[in-house]
Amino acid sequence: MSRLEEIAHRHDDALLSEGSRIPTGAPILELKSLQKNYGYVQALKPTTITFLAGEVHAIVGENGAGKSTLIKLLTGVIPRTAGEVLWCGHPVALATPNEAIARGINAVHQEVVLCPHLTVAANLFLGDEVNSYGLMRKKQMEKMAQSVLDDLGFGLPAGAPLGALTIGQQQLVATARAAMRGTQFLIFDEPTAYLTRQESAQLFKLIRRLQSEGVTIVYISHRMEEVFELADRVSVLRDGTHVGTRNIGETNETELIALMINRSIEQIYHKEEIPIGQPILETRGLSGPGFEDISLTVRAGEIVGLYGLIGAGRSEFALGVYGRQPVSAGEVFWMGKKVQIRNERTAMDLGIALAPESRRDQGLCLNLPIGLNINLPVFNRLSRGPVLSRGDEAANADRQIRDLSIKTPSRRVLASSMSGGNQQKIVIGKWLSHGARLFIFDEPTVGVDVGTKAEIYRLFAKLLKEGAGIILISSYLPEVYELADRLHVFRGGRLVGSHDFHAASHEEVLAEAIGV
Amino acid sequence: MAITSTESAAAAPRRGMNVLFSLTLIGLLLALWIALGIGTASFWTPLNISNLLRQGAMTAILAVGQTFVIITAGIDLSVGAIVGFSTVVMAWLLQAGFPLWVAILATLLMGVAIGAFHGFGIVRMGLPPFIITLATLTSLRGVGLLITNGSTISITNEAFTNFARADFLGIPSLFWMVILVAVPAYVFLHLSRWGRYLFAVGSNSEAARLSGVNVNRTIYTAYILSASCAAFVGVLLASRIGIGNATQAEGWELQAIASSVIGGTSLFGAVGSVHGPLIGAFILATINNGANLLNVNSFWQRIITGLLIIVIVYFDQLRRRGSR
Repeated sequence: MSRLEEIAHRHDDALLSEGSRIPTGAPILELKSLQKNYGYVQALKPTTITFLAGEVHAIVGENGAGKSTLIKLLTGVIPRTAGEVLWCGHPVALATPNEAIARGINAVHQEVVLCPHLTVAANLFLGDEVNSYGLMRKKQMEKMAQSVLDDLGFGLPAGAPLGALTIGQQQLVATARAAMRGTQFLIFDEPTAYLTRQESAQLFKLIRRLQSEGVTIVYISHRMEEVFELADRVSVLRDGTHVGTRNIGETNETELIALMINRSIEQIYHKEEIPIGQPILETRGLSGPGFEDISLTVRAGEIVGLYGLIGAGRSEFALGVYGRQPVSAGEVFWMGKKVQIRNERTAMDLGIALAPESRRDQGLCLNLPIGLNINLPVFNRLSRGPVLSRGDEAANADRQIRDLSIKTPSRRVLASSMSGGNQQKIVIGKWLSHGARLFIFDEPTVGVDVGTKAEIYRLFAKLLKEGAGIILISSYLPEVYELADRLHVFRGGRLVGSHDFHAASHEEVLAEAIGV
Repeated sequence: MAITSTESAAAAPRRGMNVLFSLTLIGLLLALWIALGIGTASFWTPLNISNLLRQGAMTAILAVGQTFVIITAGIDLSVGAIVGFSTVVMAWLLQAGFPLWVAILATLLMGVAIGAFHGFGIVRMGLPPFIITLATLTSLRGVGLLITNGSTISITNEAFTNFARADFLGIPSLFWMVILVAVPAYVFLHLSRWGRYLFAVGSNSEAARLSGVNVNRTIYTAYILSASCAAFVGVLLASRIGIGNATQAEGWELQAIASSVIGGTSLFGAVGSVHGPLIGAFILATINNGANLLNVNSFWQRIITGLLIIVIVYFDQLRRRGSR
């Protein structure tokens, strides 16, 4: 018996043994018309999927396809709206995270949810400490933790604080933690998003090992090559619907992508011939926190795409241009004149609008009404003397709601109850009512449904025709590739490549962004 | 689209619930008044009503100021100490022979300065509002005690001390002061863009900043308003008790926060009104007044107040959860 199994053995109780009776290849977890609504939004439409014991089952889908919702339902983080879940053939509630864990269902999340200030050992044993006479056996736990880590082949110190490790290493700790709990069913949520190649390889080794010990693995990822490397079967989600499950040997990348998007690229990306005019914004050697020596130009009628991986410095550059972050070196020219943009107001007054990366953290006041959010940049225009004109306020908000077809019964509804696509429209509505010459859209279509995406792209064309320029930041290559008149690639805070429309292939752009 | 119809169906009752909540508060206040009117002979006497209005007035003004701060997702623990300190400053300036208007103006300006100091600590030094206002609470009591050497300064200006006892159009002058504060406060919070900025900063200060809202100035404004309201209450209290004493108004900050919360303000920010805290303050005053009339042990008053806060805020939470 390996060290890991020995420790995991401590957890064998009634609930767990139920699962261990299931032979490999028989259904272990069955979803029957499982459904979740958030307010007015159907995050997961009735979904029926069966997971077989001992398989690696990949789930793929675009952002907003319902993958995260599915995980949260299975791990008891959120209650389901309707449907049934069978665990080893018996209906289960999965009402709380503790119930899911007690049954042997664990998840490893993309962002590690452990305590960064505690040691690796303390995190491994968190909520399950080894005690004797009511006192914690710290030394013993550390020794056990170290033997588990060594056993798994991770060169990690059990006594180090978790926060001192890289995200990739923390993820390995989280996986080891789940493995130690005698898990039967382990869900990985895009685990490799922040991992280096070496760390990914270690993780894959661990996943195969767990599989060989009879653990069922659900592997959620964007990355096709990982799916084909690891999975036995793959299920595709699209817009909250399960659109198909395939044996990995009987499908290929093209089929999966077709299932995921179900549309041809030309249908969504809407690009018109728009004459390109004079420069609006030019940066020369701009540097600041997270970006260095960035020189680029945005002209009227032009979309400038910024592509790169997460943390490549694109959003930081945008915040620098917008005056949110201090700029340490370099120059900014606006309509040919040198300008200093020290704060957001200056940027807005010049005519720069920023739809920031995170709607939740930067874009919206979620627990306030839609109308207030839309009017926030323009309240000074809606005031007569010290008092607001309620009529103007209502008219301005209602106009944006109508023009952008934001699906809400009233401007008084809270922004939090809207779907991702409608929330993005609120953010855009703020800036349309304010007006600008340069629009910076940072990841405008993350978590946005396909229909709204197409609307947003059509809106880009409309803005360009009115003589505006657009900076489009995206981590989704087809988006920037198909839309940008000029595409700049960021890596590690620097500009590493610039291409005209379709001048470089997908592979070349990707290689520049990853740095191989 | 199918989505649209479900949305309108779900949104309509929510607005109804908000109105319902304000009505419940007023209903609770009226119910208390009717019950006390039946239960005691002396409640509906002009003398007692004047008393009630005087008792509630000062908490009400403090609660309005406090609400501005809480809407920005902050807290101002110093208001009780500012009230006590302001009575000292008033008495001290009057004793030193300054004219009444100078003394009042100076006390109010001192309030502005304390509020600006809080803003400075939060915005520039990055201190949590709880900490900086807690520090002021402690220090101001100390400064007041130093000035008075631990005793009290009497106020001999009779025109000033008569003010708090006076009536105007049959209503206590102190209650008129509530109206004097509440009307501009209502215009500021509900009808001006600065009020909208308070809500935006309390909801998501980063989103507000990126939308061009001057977040720092908004925070300064909230704390200056709260401290100024407290200094104003200090002037009124000095008039009412006729002395300057640094230990006065002990625990009033909690009364103010309680009134605000009972009035529907969310301690997480971005939810609140001017009328809510006013009603909240008079509900608390009525409970105290009624308990006195019914000869309930004053210790029980505290227990009842505590329970009431739990019940009201719990119902408020239910309402919010329901609307989600």
